[in-house]
Amino acid sequence: MTSTARTSISALSRGHEFPSVAFTVSEKVVRAYLDAVGDAHGYAETVPPLAAVALGLSAVQEQIALPEGSLHTGQEVEHHAPVRAGEALTLTGRIAQRSERQGFVVSVIELEIATVAGVAIRARSTIMAPGGAS
Amino acid sequence: MVRLVSQQRIDAYAGASGDHNPIHVDPSFARATPFGGTIAHGMLVLALIGEMMRGAFGEAWSTSGKLKVRFKAPTRPGDTITASAVLSKESADDAEYAVQCVSQSGEILIEGRASVKAVS
Repeated sequence: MTSTARTSISALSRGHEFPSVAFTVSEKVVRAYLDAVGDAHGYAETVPPLAAVALGLSAVQEQIALPEGSLHTGQEVEHHAPVRAGEALTLTGRIAQRSERQGFVVSVIELEIATVAGVAIRARSTIMAPGGAS
Repeated sequence: MVRLVSQQRIDAYAGASGDHNPIHVDPSFARATPFGGTIAHGMLVLALIGEMMRGAFGEAWSTSGKLKVRFKAPTRPGDTITASAVLSKESADDAEYAVQCVSQSGEILIEGRASVKAVS
């Protein structure tokens, strides 16, 4: 996954689009994820959707700076199709909403994870970061 | 579903997800924050709800499941979390559940709703 110059999430406007990222989730990464969360259901070759979202969010976070005190306050996920380990994926992301509240900037990062067949997962992550004007 | 969230689990999740924010993995950094110590990634705790729904609905969850939650309170190392889902609305097309994760003291850590299409 690539990274670019880091701008604070608080400074990003609504509509800002992150550079798309091509990636795969290997079976090894899936197993590390399952071990970490303690999931014994054994997805085998299927990537747990929340693992794909977490990796996608981390990829976006590599492109921005999160000020100290930032909080992940909400999460939405829509599943459309299973993602297979090792499958070629494309991550696209943008700032879907931005507002300011009591010294915090509330940003909603919208992510799409697609396979060659189409969108597999859509997600919206709400991040509160210090830095609002008020 | 019930699971212990240890610092070891949090560290492992940081490695697996790539989220190494010091609030999760650096005790000395985290002590100086308003939390007073490390906290688990919200997505780590949310994984228990994902596992629960996938266990209940199988492939239907991966192809039609929807989840919308708020992270209400931090989960700390040593917390034992319990995930639950209660049917709140049902139609011929889908079913909606009120989902939550609570700590051993009953504090709500995650709250929201999940839906999945009915299997025909």
